[in-house]
Amino acid sequence: MLAYLQNIVVLFSINAILALTLNFIMGYAGIFSLAHAVFFGIGAYTAAYVALNYTDSLVLCMLAAMGLSAVISMALALPALRVRGEYFVAASLGLQMIGVTIFSEWKSVTGGLGGMVGIPSPVFLGYTFRSTTDFLILAGVILIGILVITSLLVRGSFGRSLMAIRDSESAAQAYGKSVNTVKTLSVAISAGLAALGGVLYAFYMSFVNVEVFTLDMSILLMAMVIIGGTGTLIGPVVGAAIVMALPAALTYLPFIPPGELGTIQQIIYGSAMVILMMYRPGGVVGARAKGKST
Amino acid sequence: MTAAQNLTDPAKILLQVRGLHKNFGGLQAITDVNLDLPSGVITTLVGPNGAGKTTLFNMITGHLVPSSGTVHWLGESLNGIAPWRIARKGIARTFQDLRLFNHMTVQENIETVMERSSWLWQRRSVAMKQKIEQVLDETELASKRHERAVDLAYAERKFLSLARIMAGDATLWLLDEPASGLDPRSFDRFVALLKSYAQRGVTICIIEHNLDIVIRLSDTVAFLDQGKLLAQGSSEDILKDPHLAAIYFGDR
Amino acid sequence: MLYLQLLVNGIQTGALYALIAAGFSLIFGMTRIFHAAHGATFTIAGFVFYEFYAVLEWGLIPSVLACAAAAALFGVLLNRWVYVVIQRHEGSFFTVFAASFGAAIVVQNLISIFFGKGMVTVSTPLSRSIELMPGLYVAPMAFIAVITAIICFALLHYLFTHTSMGVALRALGENPVLVDVFGLNPKSLGKYAFLIGSVLVVPAAILTAATSGLNPAMGHHVMMISIAATIVGGVGSLRGAAMAGLLFGLAENLSLAFFDPQWSEAVTFVILFLFIIFRPGGFYGRAIVS
Repeated sequence: MLAYLQNIVVLFSINAILALTLNFIMGYAGIFSLAHAVFFGIGAYTAAYVALNYTDSLVLCMLAAMGLSAVISMALALPALRVRGEYFVAASLGLQMIGVTIFSEWKSVTGGLGGMVGIPSPVFLGYTFRSTTDFLILAGVILIGILVITSLLVRGSFGRSLMAIRDSESAAQAYGKSVNTVKTLSVAISAGLAALGGVLYAFYMSFVNVEVFTLDMSILLMAMVIIGGTGTLIGPVVGAAIVMALPAALTYLPFIPPGELGTIQQIIYGSAMVILMMYRPGGVVGARAKGKST
Repeated sequence: MTAAQNLTDPAKILLQVRGLHKNFGGLQAITDVNLDLPSGVITTLVGPNGAGKTTLFNMITGHLVPSSGTVHWLGESLNGIAPWRIARKGIARTFQDLRLFNHMTVQENIETVMERSSWLWQRRSVAMKQKIEQVLDETELASKRHERAVDLAYAERKFLSLARIMAGDATLWLLDEPASGLDPRSFDRFVALLKSYAQRGVTICIIEHNLDIVIRLSDTVAFLDQGKLLAQGSSEDILKDPHLAAIYFGDR
Repeated sequence: MLYLQLLVNGIQTGALYALIAAGFSLIFGMTRIFHAAHGATFTIAGFVFYEFYAVLEWGLIPSVLACAAAAALFGVLLNRWVYVVIQRHEGSFFTVFAASFGAAIVVQNLISIFFGKGMVTVSTPLSRSIELMPGLYVAPMAFIAVITAIICFALLHYLFTHTSMGVALRALGENPVLVDVFGLNPKSLGKYAFLIGSVLVVPAAILTAATSGLNPAMGHHVMMISIAATIVGGVGSLRGAAMAGLLFGLAENLSLAFFDPQWSEAVTFVILFLFIIFRPGGFYGRAIVS
């Protein structure tokens, strides 16, 4: 039972990291991306590749994953600088599709459809992370770290620049904000930190495969952010918890045939999105409290 | 130095517009405009709708590129420079539709303008904090500092728009109909505020339709019609000119 | 000969894409609502046709009518019950998009409960290919697809130029604020936009059911083509969206001569991406303020 719970918490942490980093650009910069799963994937594949071929050092794998993810995120930043809203969503959708195709086809690096197996355990300062408890602690630390970093950024001058650009790009420019620099930085940070979720995933599962990095995952992440609420830092974490609790809760309902669990789950969170947007667009956590920036 | 003296002292002319033209396709929006904005002087741009006043502002702030002509600020040409860089040189503007950062609080609106660089993290110095308090006091927004901009009353939004400029330490203010719709008491506060900053050497240029406002505020008035600068002088000279009045009120 | 075959396939696919894209572009251009559930409309239309024609074995005409009614109802009701409610209080792009997306997810999964997740097809002799020339296989369905598309676009053109409703819709697309001033009601005009836009997918859905088949998840692909074609064609231009749809159909098929099938979707998106970066206005679109 304990192992089962620990497993859930690790997976929850990974999802929370992804939802948090997605909200960074969605809620604060107004950049709606359907490509977030791609950066999750880049992080995972990079860590796997480095660990299998070069070193099992946790730090080096994390740095490689974050760096590559941030660099590739420039492909997303470019359309973000040129267009907003609906146009950008379309571009991010395109990037997601191309990303999945590359993950599935580049056999020499990603293992193609079969994926990569036998990923070694990561080592940090001589300690090897092997058991579920090990990963629980690692995931917790990374999650908290990302919460702290995002919080500092959002509550500080960078967050204000982001929100100013989101609220009125022309005014932000008229008051000295270098819109291109801020947008590019925010996309890079979002992608770089999301890659950490991928690193965790790759090492925890010892196996990566394209199935988890598809459009369905990007949609799931977006649902987490929307349901939890984009106006706060804690919203996406709550959203991740809710969306993840669904399948577990559903298994307790006797009348649902097991094969249909996934379908029912999707119906529930699809309906939740519709209803929330109609009556409570701020999500479960709600809109920003007065006087607070997050 | 009084405003009148500033008008004729060439050393104090901070913004120079020379031979400015702008066409949009076949439409000639601005034709051969020459304008000097000296330090400490409040210049008002008047003219009928569509005369090109906002277009002129847009060319100074870099939001529009002139078809020909030059704009010099403190001796340096602004041609081809991005709007955000021009803003960092001390030129600030308001918009007719305000464009406040609606979902941010009053204090955040002011803070963000003061944070000039693109660094991820900027420390807030004591001087900054003092400035914020000063601006909030001068615009009487201190009690509303944690309200979201979208929740403010109309006059408060106008003052917040001004507060953003004040906080940025700009030396050239381009205000687009900043006082329209203000009640008399707010208007008096507004005039006093502008005059106090002009006395500190700030160059102010205002687009305004309301002639009472023009009379109360201006040191000098420039009349724009169909993209051309027809006349410039004291508010008395301009407003009493029957020819210009005819253009302004529509009987040509 | 391969190229010719791919070209013919591309035209067939392109004709269907043009219809779908035009439907989305009509709705988006006229109401500015990002109707991400347009793909769901297509899926509903397809499966309703399958149910009535292939399963319940009603005749062709009743099945087509039922399918059109289902598509139209879905579009109009979604607008009335969800989008309008959202627009009343806030209506930002994101809120509408998220709701639309949620609806699409619900539809996709409801359909998979009733019909399973696999592929279903409507079998008809019309989809059997004939060898027109050595190496060139064309089914009658291909001609039907192109002719149907042409007829639909001709009807649309007539609608927009010769009927008062059509002209009012165009006015709505140009300037929603002014429409009020002239005594027209933007809300009820919007209803017509959804009606027409949703019905446009019907021929495409039926033809797809008879050729490559239907599955509940196909809404995604339909949606992507719709969005891509609307952008590449230029927002506000039905002609542009239709042409872009044709372009994508051609590109998807012709790319098979050079790449594996898995890459054909990527080809579509590379095209979209390039347009967004270098020419966001698309072929015919209005200028965009970024």
